[in-house]
Amino acid sequence: MKTRRIQPIEMRSLWLVLLIVALGTASHAQSLLDDLGPAEAIPHPVFATFKDTRIINVQSNETPGKNVMHFVIAHRFGQINEGAYSLWGLDNASMRMALDYGLTDRLCAGVARSTLQKTFEGSVKWKALQQQSDGSIPIGVTFYAVGMARGDSVFANSEESRIFSNRLSYTYQAIMSRKFSDKLSLAVIPSFTHRNLVEFINNSHDQWTLGTGGRYKIAQRLSLNAEYHFLLKGLPEAARNSLSLGVDIETGGHVFQLHITNSRGMFERAFLTETTGRWSEGALFFGFNLSRVFDF
Amino acid sequence: MNQMMKTTLLSLALMACYSCSAQRFMTRNGNVNFFSETPIENIEATNDMASGLLTDEGRFAFRVPILGFRFEKALMEEHFNENYMESTRYPNGTFEGSIDGWKESMKDGQWHEVIAQGVLEIHGVKNAREIPSKIKWSDSAWKIQTTFTVATADHEIPVPKMVRNKIAESIDVSVELTLTAQ
Repeated sequence: MKTRRIQPIEMRSLWLVLLIVALGTASHAQSLLDDLGPAEAIPHPVFATFKDTRIINVQSNETPGKNVMHFVIAHRFGQINEGAYSLWGLDNASMRMALDYGLTDRLCAGVARSTLQKTFEGSVKWKALQQQSDGSIPIGVTFYAVGMARGDSVFANSEESRIFSNRLSYTYQAIMSRKFSDKLSLAVIPSFTHRNLVEFINNSHDQWTLGTGGRYKIAQRLSLNAEYHFLLKGLPEAARNSLSLGVDIETGGHVFQLHITNSRGMFERAFLTETTGRWSEGALFFGFNLSRVFDF
Repeated sequence: MNQMMKTTLLSLALMACYSCSAQRFMTRNGNVNFFSETPIENIEATNDMASGLLTDEGRFAFRVPILGFRFEKALMEEHFNENYMESTRYPNGTFEGSIDGWKESMKDGQWHEVIAQGVLEIHGVKNAREIPSKIKWSDSAWKIQTTFTVATADHEIPVPKMVRNKIAESIDVSVELTLTAQ
């Protein structure tokens, strides 16, 4: 009686043992790589939020990196609606050359010269906060400050514009950026511009704009870019919001940026506060930036 | 002793026997270096976050996180991860296979020339490889050393024409692991 009652339990035990052994063997047959355990995520500052140090006209969060000389040569052609006579603006090119040098991986200083208004620039850019891959810092914050000096006279036959300090203007920006995915990066960029000399006594010296910009990668080395600046405060009646659309093409060491914009100027005061044409009127300019990095 | 306990003990004994038959050696801080040499530019990177696993039957697995490579210049590191390796998409380089000619008698404290035979996966592309390596038993750990080359084309790593004179077609990789009993 007793033994007969125990028998089924022993059978069950035997099955259990066999099952455990079978499971053990099964796990053994899996890839040995799995036995290394889950791969550790390596927290790092998010890189390549934008391909270049500019989105189109406006600065991106990127800096060249330590001991890297970043050279940009940019062209902006004439207004497209000038028509065939001036080959849709291509007859009139204005140019900007810029040299930025990375003092550290997060700090750079630069100088530039534009044909437009014979302008010299001196700038400093600092990545104050870097977005982190583990989400511990969700956005990047980069500060940009640029001083611009006009070489031509600010206003015709004006005694005041002969004084050097009256030729100066300044723009300060905070570039808040986030790389949402490998493809999509967005930025919000409030800017404050101060000009030492204004044309009319009731014009404001201080001007505020709020910019947005972004890029979407459509291939490994190709992205679509856009930026828009809202005029907020202190701007003259004739000023318009700046809208630019473009593409970035990366070719290894070079980045080509091709774009269409309603801003003629390629330095901050000009494109933020002196844009007068509208997209709807075809008051557009074709342009490109070509950047090249040199290591030292 | 009741039947349930007997069962448990028998299972445990079997499992213990099973695991003792498969002793494993492991590391989580193996060293990987690579070197790209051209007349124009030399590029070097190091990584000390490689994992390796060796069984006493000579089966071998290896994994290195691509984001763990450190370069001299931040810009190189960024280009490596963003443009060439696409590290966020393909975060690891791996090798899985076995050591050809594996023998217990290699535990004699001498270096032995062996061939690691298996599949090398980099940039999401798998290649069957036979990699000459050296192995030595020392201080109750297995030391493995190897140098081999990786052709960028074999792993579909795109190198644009404009930088072909700066990046070698074949990259020299060296690996050093010290695997200790688990």
